[in-house]
Amino acid sequence: MKRTEPLVFVIDDDQSVRTAVKSLIRSVGLEVESFASGPEFLQYARPDVPSCLVLDVRLPGISGLDFQKELARQGIHLPVIFITAHGDIPMSVRAMKAGAVEFLTKPFRDQDLLDAIQTSLNRDRERRRQESEISELKVRFETLTTRERELLALVISGKPNKQIADVIGTSEVTVKVHRANLTRKMRAESLADLVRMAGRLNIAPKA
Amino acid sequence: MQLREIRAEPRFYGHVLFRYGMALGLVVIALSLSLLLHPYVSDAFIVFFLAAVMIVGWFGRTGPGLFSVAISTLAVDYFFIVPRHAFVMEVEGIPYFFSFLLSAGCASLLASTRKQAEDKQRVHFDKLFEQSPEAIMLVDARDRVQRVNEEFSRIFGYTSNEIVDGVSLSFIVPPYLHDEALASRTRLSLGESVSMETVRMRKDGSVVQVSEIAVPVAIGGERMSYYYIFRDITENKRAAEALQRAHAELVHLSRVTTVGELVTSIAHEVNQPIAAVVTNGNAASRWLAQHPPNLDEARDALENIVRDATRAGDVIGRIRTMVQKGTAHMEPLDCNEVIRSVLNLLDAEIRRGEVRVSTDLGKLPSVIGDRVQLQQVMLNLIINAIDAMSAANRHANILSILSSSDEGFVRVQVHDTGIGITTELASRIFNPFFTTKPDGIGMGLTISRSIIESHGGRLWAVPNETGSVLSFTLPVAGESDEAN
Repeated sequence: MKRTEPLVFVIDDDQSVRTAVKSLIRSVGLEVESFASGPEFLQYARPDVPSCLVLDVRLPGISGLDFQKELARQGIHLPVIFITAHGDIPMSVRAMKAGAVEFLTKPFRDQDLLDAIQTSLNRDRERRRQESEISELKVRFETLTTRERELLALVISGKPNKQIADVIGTSEVTVKVHRANLTRKMRAESLADLVRMAGRLNIAPKA
Repeated sequence: MQLREIRAEPRFYGHVLFRYGMALGLVVIALSLSLLLHPYVSDAFIVFFLAAVMIVGWFGRTGPGLFSVAISTLAVDYFFIVPRHAFVMEVEGIPYFFSFLLSAGCASLLASTRKQAEDKQRVHFDKLFEQSPEAIMLVDARDRVQRVNEEFSRIFGYTSNEIVDGVSLSFIVPPYLHDEALASRTRLSLGESVSMETVRMRKDGSVVQVSEIAVPVAIGGERMSYYYIFRDITENKRAAEALQRAHAELVHLSRVTTVGELVTSIAHEVNQPIAAVVTNGNAASRWLAQHPPNLDEARDALENIVRDATRAGDVIGRIRTMVQKGTAHMEPLDCNEVIRSVLNLLDAEIRRGEVRVSTDLGKLPSVIGDRVQLQQVMLNLIINAIDAMSAANRHANILSILSSSDEGFVRVQVHDTGIGITTELASRIFNPFFTTKPDGIGMGLTISRSIIESHGGRLWAVPNETGSVLSFTLPVAGESDEAN
């Protein structure tokens, strides 16, 4: 059976902190996996579910901030929440600029961490939804014929059928047929819907 | 120093024509006197001519001297050697003629060489005086300046013309040092040399740090002259002061960073378990708030709390052991010596704070203690006092340190005239991280108190609105042994 429950990752080299944070997160009904270091986390086979990462700034070997960059470099787009024993402002600014959701100083308020985790999971869900929508659209786009793809760029520019027919050198009726097929294959409900889909697929309107 | 071209010959030699003219003139005078006296004293001319050639040799040097010898010889031959009034002579006149020539030549040469040697010595001395890298001033017994050299002009700004014949005291001694200068003059007049580092005044009124050596020189047995030799030591002084200041800053800095590092390390070591305790506590309440409560998870979390809190306590215990036993080196000490060493160390800061220090250190029995730790306590108290006074910005900053002993204790008191301590503050200043200074850490007095207490003494502050009084006591060595 495929997992769908969200999963929170915790990386902290201090075992006491790790255990405590795990217990806190589990107490609100979330699943947790914890790791003592970055490489340990990277070796773990992550299930395809909404996730976020609670990351200690001071890690042995590589700092949490550098690890955040490393994740981005490897194309792992997890929302990151930093926890630190003594955070200073420049450090937190750096982390937030690199896309961290929250920067918490130990000992933190439990609600702050749980709120940040909730925000992160929502953000990850949204990111996953968008990613799956795009891949679905890509599948639909693949089913279009060359002529239909050509037509799509013209249709989304808002030209009337007659003009489109002039441009591609065919009759208005043929355009109508192609256009109906195109809309059906892309499962678009309106011209506006089609324009939005084309935007997602990075297709530019043709003048 | 740039070498200056010194006159190779003293000016009183005069022009060469003048010198030959002088030779001629003196010979003519000698001849006139000889002719005048010849009828009465037949050989008197010898005396006159010899005197003339000697004078010419002395003042006119070798050339004119020999010239005068030549014309004298001719004149003598012409006027006085028979046959007179002719340049020829008879056989019996020849020895007479040559003995005159010889004696005149010798007299002239002797005079000119002697004079030249003396002049050479004088030029040599002048060169030495002028080109000396030390500033030299020669004054007479009434303190009138006789002569100064170039270096003197460079340091003091007076040219030789401006200061010669002036009274040196009024020219270069700042009014507030007149007494010192007069005392030194008295010693000089008794024939002693005086050497000291002092302050002298320039022409523009600015002061200069100098080392001054004064030497009395008796001329002619009774009349005294004094040579003063000055060296500008402003730079040395400044360098020495900078060095001392840097040293004090280093001590201050190392004290601050040691405390700072200690605090950071304690903070990190203790913060981790505390963070875990807080989080576990929160988790436990959440487990218990569930319906039904998850007692197993709550128990685990509570057990973790106990474990983490114990760990935090261990960290603190370890640090305390390290601070208390790891570094203490107990030995018998004189508290006054500790006080003096710290005052010495802080000399630059004391002067920078324009603080006047008054000490009243009684004779103390020794105490058993760690010198470095007790120095740190004194350092803290004195720096606090200086800071309090600079914050108060009053006219007179007076730091008084008293030490006394009674009933088995040595007591040290540090008074200042700074911002003072209110009753409310007095109870808080020993708390960790309490500070009234913008860049303070708030550990100085906390650490000082723990040091004094670990030595078996007490450290306390007396509330006082007009400056603070901090005191500590330490048990006297023998007494504390009995107590143990």
